[in-house]
Amino acid sequence: MPTDTHNGSVTYLEAIGQAMMSEMEADPNVFLIGEDVGQFGGAFKVTKGFLEKFGPRRVVDTPIAETGFTGLAAGAALVGLRPIVEFQFADFISCAFDPIINVMARHHYRTGDAIPVTMRAPFGARLRAGPTHSQSVESYFAHVPGLKIVMPGTAQDAAGLLISSIRDNNPVLYLENKYLYRRLRSDGPGSLDPIPLGQANVVREGRDVTLITYSAGVSQGLEIADELDKDGISVEVVDIRTLVPLDIETIVNSVKKTSRAVVLHEAARRMGYGAEIAAEIQERCFWHLDQPVVRIGAKNTPTPTSPPLEDAVVPQPADIAETIRKVARA
Amino acid sequence: MAASTKTKSTPAASPLEQRDPELLKRIYEKMVQTRAVEDRMVAMYKSGDLLGSLYTGHWHEAISVGAAANLRADDYMAPIHRDLGAHLWRGMEAWQVMASFMGKATSPTGGRDGTLHYGRLDLGIYNLPSHIPANFPVAIGMAFAAKYRGEDKVCLAFCGDGSTSRADFHESLNIAGVLNLPAIFVIENNQWAYSTPVALQSASADFAAKAAAYGFPGVKVDGTDVLAVYDAVAEGVARARKGEGPTLVEAVTMRMHGHAEHDPADYVPKEMFDEWRKKDPVELFEKALISGGVIDEEYAKEIRAQARQHAIAARRKALADPMPDPSTVEEGVYAD
Repeated sequence: MPTDTHNGSVTYLEAIGQAMMSEMEADPNVFLIGEDVGQFGGAFKVTKGFLEKFGPRRVVDTPIAETGFTGLAAGAALVGLRPIVEFQFADFISCAFDPIINVMARHHYRTGDAIPVTMRAPFGARLRAGPTHSQSVESYFAHVPGLKIVMPGTAQDAAGLLISSIRDNNPVLYLENKYLYRRLRSDGPGSLDPIPLGQANVVREGRDVTLITYSAGVSQGLEIADELDKDGISVEVVDIRTLVPLDIETIVNSVKKTSRAVVLHEAARRMGYGAEIAAEIQERCFWHLDQPVVRIGAKNTPTPTSPPLEDAVVPQPADIAETIRKVARA
Repeated sequence: MAASTKTKSTPAASPLEQRDPELLKRIYEKMVQTRAVEDRMVAMYKSGDLLGSLYTGHWHEAISVGAAANLRADDYMAPIHRDLGAHLWRGMEAWQVMASFMGKATSPTGGRDGTLHYGRLDLGIYNLPSHIPANFPVAIGMAFAAKYRGEDKVCLAFCGDGSTSRADFHESLNIAGVLNLPAIFVIENNQWAYSTPVALQSASADFAAKAAAYGFPGVKVDGTDVLAVYDAVAEGVARARKGEGPTLVEAVTMRMHGHAEHDPADYVPKEMFDEWRKKDPVELFEKALISGGVIDEEYAKEIRAQARQHAIAARRKALADPMPDPSTVEEGVYAD
């Protein structure tokens, strides 16, 4: 919950909690289910205080059974409830591929019946958590028709996009970057205005090169853009916010203006979501481009635990800055 | 929490005269109708009317109809591909099922899905994917929703002996036990999962015993005896409605056809078929009703003739129905 010491501003983690709480207060069909979400308040304490406020009927601690409780959410949603599923770590979502892909993602197309489930999963690297606790999972799911994928990069968006996800009538994968939980704060007081899914945000205007990114890449990209500005390189930063649906128009408009594009994400580069964006830009903006579209992603290795190893795998600010500089000046 | 676990093999059956004759007749009619529709569809498969293969439930009629006959119209059901009888009991039209196996626009999925995937939510029937028992987690979700709303609805879920090996079977029964959900799980033990015999599926002597590990009752019944199935599921439904939690019912029968019609099932010992052929659940029930004076030979003959005519008419309609319009193929991936 918000503290008074920051003029009402909230952390990325608090924004997520506030969005869930306001939706649970507003809609009796919204409930929360997952491992350790109740009494313990979640592995990262996102749902601290929820059990006390809403009781065990609406804050459901489950056995360790991702397939079971994810499928349960699908069934409950099918008959009118709006479950929020919490995966303790996004890495564990592989245990629920079947209910997500074969049950939820196909269901509306097969039957016309809606399955409004929001699946929250903390993902990402830089916490020295190792190969099975640091993964970026978005590309597994971006390939599957029928899912929406939301990846907020700011505390403001974390709340507004989560509210829209919960109100959406489709299965939505809401991937929260656990590195950002307590490192990002909203600029002003936390807002609970919904932000529509499928609208990218130009978070910084620039002339020379477009940086297209999402999640942790947004704050990282803004810092790097400030640095490059000192060298006279003007970077436009586009936060796509949702991978599916993708607001390709905003990307295309920006690239047509700058004629140069770099795509940044923390996921492994090979078949990362940046490949899709780069291909779209190439198809739609080829004659506007002055340089090939460049992708920045993690190395194609598992994410190692030890700091020097992890830092060698995950894109680092100096390398990102250098790549953007090269594209801008080429 | 759940009542003490028990495994019994033969629930004490009430004599026929203590039962509602109208209900007995409806069950009989639906079993006959199920058989007639499936026999007709086998002929359709052989004459090339259907897409892909055909999955039938010969010798499962007592299970699918006997279990579903316990449900109210507002209850939920998550059946599998041997359960045409349960679908028909709930109001699914035979021609819709045939249309599904033909990819027609009039099938419950409009041809988006097909063959055995023909559930209808308006009838409380979950339309299962191919990954059985992926219908089990969904079933406990529907049961969860009923409990969440304080309703006394239940969810009846079916799976086969092969399904019991999968993680979603275990996780669903485990969660249903822990959350005390109003669910009835029916295992249709037909001895074969495609070509795999039960001995290679589980080292356990029976499947009903698994309930003990989840803290709720498990009952094993003769799956060719429709009243035995009906009674066992009735007890489960009653428990679920009273908030006493889930029940597991194992109903033993035999898969008398291949996994699907393309499969000659030549891996099944011939003697096994010969033995089980004597236990036709439709015939057994018909004989019991006639000898018990609930119906007579004339009535049975009439019902069989009607069922045959009904299946022929369903085929005619399904054949005449249109195919879907390919210009719509990208519609409906997402809900509005």
